[in-house]
Amino acid sequence: MFKQMLKHFLKIIAPLLLLTACSTARPILDYNPEATLETLSAAVSMSVVTADNGMSGSGFMVYRRPDQLHLVLLSPFGTTLIEIFSRGEQVTLLYPGNATAYVGTIADLPEKGGLQGWRLMRWVMDAAPAASSAMNGTLERPGVQGLPEKVTYENGLVVSKSTADGQQVYYSRYSVAGGVPFAAELELRNAREDRIRIVLDEPEINSPLEEAVFQPRLEGIRILPLSLLRGITP
Amino acid sequence: MKSEKLFFSMSLCLCVSIAFVLGSLSSAQARPIPPLEGLEALRKGFAGISDFSAEITQEKRLSLMKRTMTMKGTVRFRKPDQFFLAINPPYASRMVLKDATIEMAGGPEGKRNRMVLPPEQGLGRWFSKLASPVTQLPEGVAIQADLTNSLYTLTITPQGQGQVRELAIAFLADGTIRRLTILERNGDKASMIFKKLRRNTGLTDSDFRLEP
Repeated sequence: MFKQMLKHFLKIIAPLLLLTACSTARPILDYNPEATLETLSAAVSMSVVTADNGMSGSGFMVYRRPDQLHLVLLSPFGTTLIEIFSRGEQVTLLYPGNATAYVGTIADLPEKGGLQGWRLMRWVMDAAPAASSAMNGTLERPGVQGLPEKVTYENGLVVSKSTADGQQVYYSRYSVAGGVPFAAELELRNAREDRIRIVLDEPEINSPLEEAVFQPRLEGIRILPLSLLRGITP
Repeated sequence: MKSEKLFFSMSLCLCVSIAFVLGSLSSAQARPIPPLEGLEALRKGFAGISDFSAEITQEKRLSLMKRTMTMKGTVRFRKPDQFFLAINPPYASRMVLKDATIEMAGGPEGKRNRMVLPPEQGLGRWFSKLASPVTQLPEGVAIQADLTNSLYTLTITPQGQGQVRELAIAFLADGTIRRLTILERNGDKASMIFKKLRRNTGLTDSDFRLEP
């Protein structure tokens, strides 16, 4: 179960969280096509539904382009259950309750070795709006990593993308901050009917973030290789 | 069970808050009292309560991210071993604890999770410890107590390097809880402020359901 959560966080959820400029575009939003999302911080509520189980939770996340993420998941009493840090392919999972951290790369994660996750993340993040808000319809194009994808625009904003192997991502509840269109709700589905839904709340876009935010505090923490992790709980 | 471990810290906090084992508050007017006196005041206050419900405001201060999350919700408790916590949107979640079994629903779709704690972490076990007077301080923790007007404050500092650096509970002599604060070793702070606490209203099993 924990493996699956990890996989989802680092291969699917995290990418979605990192998502910056996407949109659902019922109303026409006045965005700046030149503006880009550099940083994002937001409260997070998420659900993961797979064929054999699922999970849900709330927390907080910060992201900095292109590949830095810090995600905190909270217990119902507000204490920290897990902190997930990632930078490029490096991943740290910190469990304050056990004073233990697992450090490694995505490839060290249980199950299928992992770089697909970052490929997916970048794919999800590649949702920049069209140059004009008059853009509507679906087009096929080479994706960010050269894989063909179908992209659907509404009023210039990307509302969904899909690949031939069944990956689908939907962007909705768009708003604009500093000219940057921002999707507050994301849903990812795959060919196995796994489904991840993420809602971001109180987002702050392009606010300065200190480097320390992305650095796990490991003083006094037992550090183990990520490959030893057998589940989401150590 | 892995999920049990995952929610160990949660269960710890839960047991602490429900069992009223720990706590503290600081005040400029606070009058220090012996820790045993504070613990016994807590036990006595709780002895007269068969159930309670309250509105809560929960704040999570994330030191590293310099952000504070504020959540509102409801808690309910009924002796000997039932607890309910519901957080309102946008962080909506619900949790029911029946002795050692936790059921939770949350996230955008209210996805359910269920886990079973070790028996020694069950709510019934904690409350059974409150059945008799407190005659000695628990091992493994440092406890401070003070009294400000009618408000008791217990501050518990676990020894060692665990996640919880300090846990504090503020309460009245009749068992009314005012605030529960958990300071984590990473500098994060979680506090739960209780309002409109109602005692002994005859809560039933239907008040401890996961369904809204």
